[in-house]
Amino acid sequence: MTVIIGLETHVQLPTKSKIFCGCKNIVTFEKEPEPNTVTCETCIGLPGAKPQVNSQVIEFGTRIALALECKINNTFSFSRKTYFYPDMGKNFQITQHTIPLGSHGKLLVDGKLIRITRVHVEEDPARLVHIGGVGGSHVLVDYNRSGTPLVEIVTEPDMTSPEQARAYLATLTQVLQYLGVYDPSTKAVLKSDANISLKGGARVEIKNITGEKEVFEALRFEMMRQKNLSKQGKRTIQETRLWNPELSVTQELRTKETEEDYGYIPEGDLTPITLEQRIILKEKQQLPELPAQKYKRYQRDYKVAPKLAEALLADPQLAVLFEAASKKIDSKLAATWIAGPLKKTLNWNNRRLEQTDITVASFVSVLKLFNSRKLTDRNAEMLIRYLVAEGGQPETLIKKHQLTGSGTDLDKVIKTVIKNNPKAARDVTNGVAKALNFLIGMVMKETKGTVDANTVRKALEKALR
Amino acid sequence: MPQTLVQLRTELKKGNRSSFYAKLSKELDQLNRKYHVLLERTEPSHTGSGPLAGIPVSVKDCLCVKDVPSAAGSEILKGYIPPFDATAVTKVKNAGGVIIGKTAQDEFGFGSFSVNTNIVPKNPHDPTRSCGGSSGGAAALTAALSVPHLALAESTGGSIACPASFCGVVGMTPTYGLVSRYGLIDYANSLDKIGVITKSVADAELGLSVIRGYDPRDQTSLDKKIPPVPKRIVLGVPKEYFETVDSAVAAAVWDTIKKLEAAGIPYKKVSLTATKYALAAYYIIATAEASTNLAKYCGMRYGQAAPLEQREMNEYFSAVRSTYFSSEAKRRIMLGTFARMAGFRDKYFLQAQKVRTLVIQDFKKVFKNVSVLVTPTMPVIAPTFAEIEQMSPVQHYAMDVLTVGPNLAGLPHLSVPCGTVKNMPVGIQIIGDHLTEATVFSLGKCV
Repeated sequence: MTVIIGLETHVQLPTKSKIFCGCKNIVTFEKEPEPNTVTCETCIGLPGAKPQVNSQVIEFGTRIALALECKINNTFSFSRKTYFYPDMGKNFQITQHTIPLGSHGKLLVDGKLIRITRVHVEEDPARLVHIGGVGGSHVLVDYNRSGTPLVEIVTEPDMTSPEQARAYLATLTQVLQYLGVYDPSTKAVLKSDANISLKGGARVEIKNITGEKEVFEALRFEMMRQKNLSKQGKRTIQETRLWNPELSVTQELRTKETEEDYGYIPEGDLTPITLEQRIILKEKQQLPELPAQKYKRYQRDYKVAPKLAEALLADPQLAVLFEAASKKIDSKLAATWIAGPLKKTLNWNNRRLEQTDITVASFVSVLKLFNSRKLTDRNAEMLIRYLVAEGGQPETLIKKHQLTGSGTDLDKVIKTVIKNNPKAARDVTNGVAKALNFLIGMVMKETKGTVDANTVRKALEKALR
Repeated sequence: MPQTLVQLRTELKKGNRSSFYAKLSKELDQLNRKYHVLLERTEPSHTGSGPLAGIPVSVKDCLCVKDVPSAAGSEILKGYIPPFDATAVTKVKNAGGVIIGKTAQDEFGFGSFSVNTNIVPKNPHDPTRSCGGSSGGAAALTAALSVPHLALAESTGGSIACPASFCGVVGMTPTYGLVSRYGLIDYANSLDKIGVITKSVADAELGLSVIRGYDPRDQTSLDKKIPPVPKRIVLGVPKEYFETVDSAVAAAVWDTIKKLEAAGIPYKKVSLTATKYALAAYYIIATAEASTNLAKYCGMRYGQAAPLEQREMNEYFSAVRSTYFSSEAKRRIMLGTFARMAGFRDKYFLQAQKVRTLVIQDFKKVFKNVSVLVTPTMPVIAPTFAEIEQMSPVQHYAMDVLTVGPNLAGLPHLSVPCGTVKNMPVGIQIIGDHLTEATVFSLGKCV
């Protein structure tokens, strides 16, 4: 049974100010501000207040639309979407309905083209705080979030499995990161609504899904639910369901009969916007190299294996480090160490590269020490751990933690090991290969890995010859 | 006695402003008892300087004045005190104008007689008659005051011209966008225009020169220059604008046109064929926009509230809205919501937008041949309250038939008194092309 999936993804944009007023955008705050302290007459929706479009929102929106290969519409406009809800100051949301900023785009996901229907910008409503949980005693409204710029990216129903939807979202998130309009380490929220149906069946919309894992889980649950209905000879009804991440199920929200009619009309307070071709062209030229292009280039120019290239791209900061390091040292070596030990250590410490003291120069110096065998691979890895966890310079850390092999008297250790294991030593002389490996292991244990295994092997062979 | 704002300003410069305002305050008390023109009075601060130094200025209730209750004549917003000034009010204050109070109006501008509200202003020429609407209080106060005064008013479909005509004063509605709408409690955003009501054309010109100008806080405000008055002015008289008009009113307007002709300003008969669709289109667009603007009044943040009584939020919103909106507001919300619903939007709202384009094209074509258009402002003289009670909502709406055209097209139009019928004033409406305010004023001075 074929599954048909489309996604609508909302992302809070990190502009300096809100979309329709001069208030600061709380997405860029490090600390959550006191409720209702970042507000004005416009974002509360006081009578007489009027919106003004923040040009940075249009700039970010255009960048996203261009990166998704959309057509930027000659003139785009804003509309009012009316519905009554306590989180909306005006009881209508200013969004783009008739003519969005961009349309007819596409995104390549694991070799498959997902068509992008539209990209538009709109305002986020206020935040509701349910006292005593949902259904509790009462609800408080915090308007700090009201007017936060959102971009909405809508796909055609081009995905055919929950896995594909997850991959699409991962790719999209990466593109947004490279464009500098989304940073998963900040408070910016990325949320999706999904449309899913079995071929020939009714379409179900699932609201309120955060993150790639949840998209996958919500869609897998909903796919199974619809398939089970079909097996029982029942039909899926057209409805809107809510994803409940705590229970990992979708729950009924409203059916088609009670579906809201938003009564869209043009927003009379905002004039349609026409972007000059030269501005669009400039924005296009300034687009950074996107993950898909980098992926190809890493394999072609740096001869990096596909898996490694993927791992490097997943974090834009690591990709930058890789490209810079490749100018000074073998790119395959750089790729292995950045995508491997460095990435692992960063994840383990829950840190981002920019939060450490690591520079291109210091990282390259670690690799050079390793390359010239002044550091064993274990010591090089230890050094990276100290660089991430403690900070500071490689030379200092090498001394502090005695990471070079030079501090150990290898000959002395070997003599002791041979003396303590006479049988094994004899076996080696008699040509038993396993015995040599055993002795190497013993020496490595004694030297706590500060000496490279090859060096130990050669030294042992020499001593027992 | 000073006849114009400039004369009053000169006199106040020499004399004592405090004693003038003490006297004015008594006169306002008296007028308010008789005609119910002011909803709020303010303690005037009259020490400013500038082109309006010391001049008394009233503000229609729908314009926000900081720290002064501003409710757009409605019950649901009663007691709402804005924390900021409308741009037009700021400009008046900066020019030395003295805000004396808020004038009565139809709730949110919904009406042509100022009867759709709790405090109904009366016509100073005959208190059994309406002063028109929706800027009724502004026109009645201007007519009744013994001294010149500037009234800030607002028009969506004729709310400045109508009361000016009924009260025998001058009402200027400028080109859409010429005056910033920031701080205006919206009726219909694509139609709302802030203008002025005064005793003379010269005063209206001075008033408009103060409040106009580009404002970054209103994206629809214009950053354009007004061209000078052309050497030769030709009037256009659109035949459709006389068809539904009371014959005595039409005769008074024709007398004025003939007088202007005798003074060397010729006229041409013209036709505006889209006129017959304009009224219907206007009411669809205006109510559709209004129904979204009024959504915010739900008893949550400001204005009237209802007891919570553990109600679900939709029930609570409905309780507040059912209690405090008048039946006219409810009618317009329902009409407007219907016109923009899926399935009806194409047939009504979008169709009305097409008609609006036709109306604009109609005017643009005519303005290739004539400088300005002259028409009656209202089809009748001010009706009595008894007559109004007999009217159906559709008859009410039909009062705007001569003013909705220029309002839909966003054209500047000026109503100037041009005679009387049954001792009641009649107004002539001068309609200009976009941004031809200078030409419109110059002709207004000839009437």
